[in-house]
Amino acid sequence: MQENVCVDKPIRTITIVGGGTAGWLTAGVIAAEHLANSENGVQVTLIESPDVSPIGVGEGTWPTMRGTLKKMGISETDFFRECDASFKQGAKFAKWVTGAEDDAYYHPLVLPQGYAEINLAPHWLPHAQQIPFADAVSFQGQLCERGLAPKQNTTPEYAHVANYAYHLDAGKFSVFLTKHCTENLGVKHILDHVTSVNSAENGDIASVSTNNHGDIAGDLFIDCTGFNALLIGKHFHIPFISKKHILFNDTALACHVPYVSDTSPIASHTISTAQKNGWIWDIGLPSRRGVGHVFSSAHTTIDEAESELRAYIGASRPDLSDNIAVRQITINPGHRQVFWHQNCVAVGLAAGFLEPLEASALVLVELSAAMISEQLPASRQVMDIVAKRFNDKFLYRWDRIIDFLKLHYVLTKRTDTDYWQDNCDAATIPADLQSLLDLWRYEAPWHNDFSQVDEVFPSASYQYVLYGMGFSTKKRATMRRSENSHLAEQHFLQNTQLTQKLLAGLPSNRDLINKIRQYGLQKI
Amino acid sequence: MPNHQLLDNITHKDLHIICDRSPTLGDAVSYTNIFLAEFRHVQGDYPIFFHKHSETGQFEAISLFGFATGENLFLDDAGWHAAYIPLTIERRPFLIGFQRSPSAQEPQPVVHIDMESPRISYNQGEPVFLAQGGQSPFLQRISGILKTIHEGHGQTDAFIQCLLEHDLLEAVSIKVQLKDGSKHELNSLYTVHEERLAALSAEVVATLHQKAYLQGIYMVLASMANMPKLIELKNQRL
Repeated sequence: MQENVCVDKPIRTITIVGGGTAGWLTAGVIAAEHLANSENGVQVTLIESPDVSPIGVGEGTWPTMRGTLKKMGISETDFFRECDASFKQGAKFAKWVTGAEDDAYYHPLVLPQGYAEINLAPHWLPHAQQIPFADAVSFQGQLCERGLAPKQNTTPEYAHVANYAYHLDAGKFSVFLTKHCTENLGVKHILDHVTSVNSAENGDIASVSTNNHGDIAGDLFIDCTGFNALLIGKHFHIPFISKKHILFNDTALACHVPYVSDTSPIASHTISTAQKNGWIWDIGLPSRRGVGHVFSSAHTTIDEAESELRAYIGASRPDLSDNIAVRQITINPGHRQVFWHQNCVAVGLAAGFLEPLEASALVLVELSAAMISEQLPASRQVMDIVAKRFNDKFLYRWDRIIDFLKLHYVLTKRTDTDYWQDNCDAATIPADLQSLLDLWRYEAPWHNDFSQVDEVFPSASYQYVLYGMGFSTKKRATMRRSENSHLAEQHFLQNTQLTQKLLAGLPSNRDLINKIRQYGLQKI
Repeated sequence: MPNHQLLDNITHKDLHIICDRSPTLGDAVSYTNIFLAEFRHVQGDYPIFFHKHSETGQFEAISLFGFATGENLFLDDAGWHAAYIPLTIERRPFLIGFQRSPSAQEPQPVVHIDMESPRISYNQGEPVFLAQGGQSPFLQRISGILKTIHEGHGQTDAFIQCLLEHDLLEAVSIKVQLKDGSKHELNSLYTVHEERLAALSAEVVATLHQKAYLQGIYMVLASMANMPKLIELKNQRL
């Protein structure tokens, strides 16, 4: 950090460059908290290029999105109606372990039973052959397997019976957020192209020039310009740290698959099916499925990847597999060396991108927006302090996400291609992850494995993936008081009873979404 | 299975309706939905709550008759012991249907009847039609009830919407301990939030008053005095 030469200058105006889900979520979160619609609040301006059209792929969120939308004063009913949204209760990983037809496990969003008081993993391990870990400790995999919704139509907005996130149409979501931010939250919207970035004497960004709206100043600039990274990359030249040596996938082929009819079931989980040199996502929205193949171009060709994608589609829609339009997207896995530099912070794709294996894109936007909003420096004088905190926090978070994504690859038993073998090469495994894996041979993941209170992936997520993939933790040679097998039995039994109760009491995902669209959910 | 038919004086010319109140005639229900226009009468006998309709998830007003499914503490083999019986019970086995006619844009409400109802008879109860085919006084009264119900839906929905807009509903859990020590809990019920009601501005109160909603709100609050009565009825049956 350079010596600060700034005078005491209050932060009154925030200029966000770029729209999309990143720009509008950030605008909404900040505008709602900092009263952008009042004279005494922070002024939030979002400049969006009219030339850039939204991408519009189906996207998955985390349960955090419920809190984010609620804080912005959005009605969940409106969100469902206008964003082609569906419920997401986790992910099903198929063919990741052996590649066999019946090879699948769930990473549900609910925590294992009694997670605050007891670690059920060591108690489950002796029964690993009888029942999958996710089914022994949670009911949610079963709900997903039956296509059930995570709540009832009498459950209030944002409340849950089973913890849930969303699948949504990112293009529609941007439009929806634009309307809410400009009409209700006081965000000023400028549709114009940014032509240049103008520096202040201290190296900050003083303003950005536009075609038709002149120079637009700001005390803080937020770079939401996507892969373009206009401010953090092109202007400030903050280096990009590639993670391709850990996560090989660098290309995606995406498409939309229509349902057979408007009564076809909507999966309430993301389905991720491993392929020879990558994996295929399958995200069910109410109006269509979003399906895509993400793969390593070093290990296969576009043609081969496309034929695998068409074969996958053909399994459910043999009538369509040959005539669906497929779009190619290039992925550069990695992130900026820092995210907040001078008076500019990058959010969304401008900050970095990873393959969508655990839906980390939108949650990183939410977490970034929340931290900027919560710790918004009152004055330029203290901005560098907050910037350093932000950078430390998010470098840690990116590393944890990278570790967690890599975990899905290193536990495979597949050896059918170089891709899977290369993924297990020790040289590609981050050291942090490797030591945790070594530790977990002797101790099941638990709360004290991670240092942060607001960890992106809790130890429960590691348990679901580890034990879903057949990882084994040795039994300790000695007994421990806290390993209370009687209490564990109670929780296993409770889970069985809860599973039966919820299977009988929850509507199908399609039914509930139809009802929300028709009648709406209540706020209380 | 109900068998809903459009009522007409040829098909149903000899039809009679048994008007007694009895568990065998379908009166053993623990609640029924009610309309704003009848709150004043309902609160004389029963507690008034709001709950969410299981099909739509939308709020409706109800009067409570018992603590368990099918339990009507006002009902026994001798009849229904209360001064007032809500309209949605009174109307049975009649209901409103809608019929399209060439002269009207909107479908028109018409009287339907459930021919599977145990109240259907040809030799006892009230005649539906007169010998010449005209409406009997009984049917005229039923038509009046159906009309009130038809209008009552819109009025009551608007009333509830207004309560929600002003954040005046809150979830309540009713815990009851009976003489024999057994405990019962009623969930999924909502009532008027008294603190928020008391905190309303004069302006809002005046608006509620003009719409005659204020009366409805206080009828709901007053109806809570019937809870001890309901518990006593339950105790008497132990």
